[in-house]
Amino acid sequence: MRIVLAQISPYLGDVEKNFRLHLKYIEKAKKKNADLIIFPELSLTGYTLKDLVENVALNHEKDRFFGQLKTLSKEISIVLGFVEEKERGLFYNSGAFLSRGKILHVHRKVFLPTYGMFEEGKYFGQGKNFNTFTTPYGNTGMMICYDFLHYSASYCLFAGGTEIIIVISAAPGRGVSDKEFYTTSHMWELMGKTISRFSSAFLVYCNRTGFEDGKSFAGGSFIYNPAGELIAKASYVDEDFLIKEINLDEIRTIRKKWPYKRDDKPEIILEVLKRIVRKYED
Amino acid sequence: MKINGQFVEKILTKFIKEELSKFGYKKGILGISGGLDSSVCAFLAAKALKPGNVIGLIMPYGKTFSRDVKGAQDLAQNLGIKPRVIDISPMIDSYFSRYPTRNRITKGNKIARERMSILYDFSAREKALVLGTSNKTELLLGYGTIYGDMASAINPLGDLYKTQIRQLALYLGIPDKILKKKPTAGLWRGQTDEAELGLTYDKIDKILFHLVDKRKSKNEVISLGFEKENVEKIITLIKSSEFKRKLPPILKLSERTVGHDFLFPFDWDK
Repeated sequence: MRIVLAQISPYLGDVEKNFRLHLKYIEKAKKKNADLIIFPELSLTGYTLKDLVENVALNHEKDRFFGQLKTLSKEISIVLGFVEEKERGLFYNSGAFLSRGKILHVHRKVFLPTYGMFEEGKYFGQGKNFNTFTTPYGNTGMMICYDFLHYSASYCLFAGGTEIIIVISAAPGRGVSDKEFYTTSHMWELMGKTISRFSSAFLVYCNRTGFEDGKSFAGGSFIYNPAGELIAKASYVDEDFLIKEINLDEIRTIRKKWPYKRDDKPEIILEVLKRIVRKYED
Repeated sequence: MKINGQFVEKILTKFIKEELSKFGYKKGILGISGGLDSSVCAFLAAKALKPGNVIGLIMPYGKTFSRDVKGAQDLAQNLGIKPRVIDISPMIDSYFSRYPTRNRITKGNKIARERMSILYDFSAREKALVLGTSNKTELLLGYGTIYGDMASAINPLGDLYKTQIRQLALYLGIPDKILKKKPTAGLWRGQTDEAELGLTYDKIDKILFHLVDKRKSKNEVISLGFEKENVEKIITLIKSSEFKRKLPPILKLSERTVGHDFLFPFDWDK
């Protein structure tokens, strides 16, 4: 299967312009015979929205942009990020997976960073699930940015049988050193390597670039294979169009050798978690 | 506190270029003094926007710093940016002949605000966005004039400590003459930052780095081997200058108020 990571720099607060940017990348990916194109978190809207959230919110069931994207998804599967107005006046930081003319899944960000430079909890409602879903390529799971820094989220997808983990992100870089990338880029790569290796699954991370209000989005999108090896890597600074052919049979090869998935015990984990949660309610 | 010159240069030039284009500007303008910060900023701007799109205003106060004027002109010539010399002594002297003061700092602040006023005037005349040159050390210590040299449209240097700007300057190949010059706010003859602050930038930056970037407490920083007196002095300077890093508070009366709950991004629709 051929994957494209569209490491773009969306326009802040302009859905129309971003939609056209998506079309440009989708066209290019189609020409390269890609099966799936992945855009970053809030790719249709930009990230630092603050009070603009209500102006750029969409409902994917009724929206005209989604109508066109659904049609396009007959030729190429699409993952993108948007502000979802699920019910009137309730906004979510969401990601959608479109394929074969349908929206196969919408993931609403569960872990909304609200600390330091982040204020998502102020503007967005909290998602409540980490679902896996079936795509033409296999069992798939999605996370959005800060979701992925909580390894419990990845575990839920692993327990749900995910073979392809997709993370869409708008991660600003923080910390300079003598290296030619932000210190925080290493954090995402560390998690990517670890989760792919111990989930024996493909891990696809699509971040964005560009600047918003002095924040610099740190790019560095990547793909790890089920052995935990880095197989594709985008620029740390510039927009990028990263294309990579992956072989889903590698999941089988690795899972024969390292049967973490076969030996997983979600029923025990569930009971342990229940006991822990009950304890702090005492 | 080491930085990768190549990476920082790339990010900062891209930032300058993109921010200007978002706001529909091709040109940038900045005050150049012949000192380290403005030289580094001019260098980055020239790289980001092409030298012909950068205006460097040299604003000496009479003949007090004629050597600096020469240094700034040399830099402009090296970079190929457009220099313009404006002597501010007529404006400053006219004001202080009516309202005299012996306070050097008061006078220095007035000079800094005169320069800002000219920068913003030329910003409008030339359709050029004002680039700030206040570094992180100055911003944290409040070692600058509010609405003077601290004023700008975008500030590419604000998250680099003075000693990191020196590292960047070395990487960029800023002339030795500028690198070796003792940092000065140029408020009066013979003034140097380090003498006025009573500490070297090397020491100040290390203390700030632990307090701010590494989020260490006062006692933790002292236990690293820094003198209690110096750490306390720096904490006092940070606290007493918070007002310089903020917009003025607005008293909330209405249901929706600027700065409180009317909150839009700086890069709105860009």
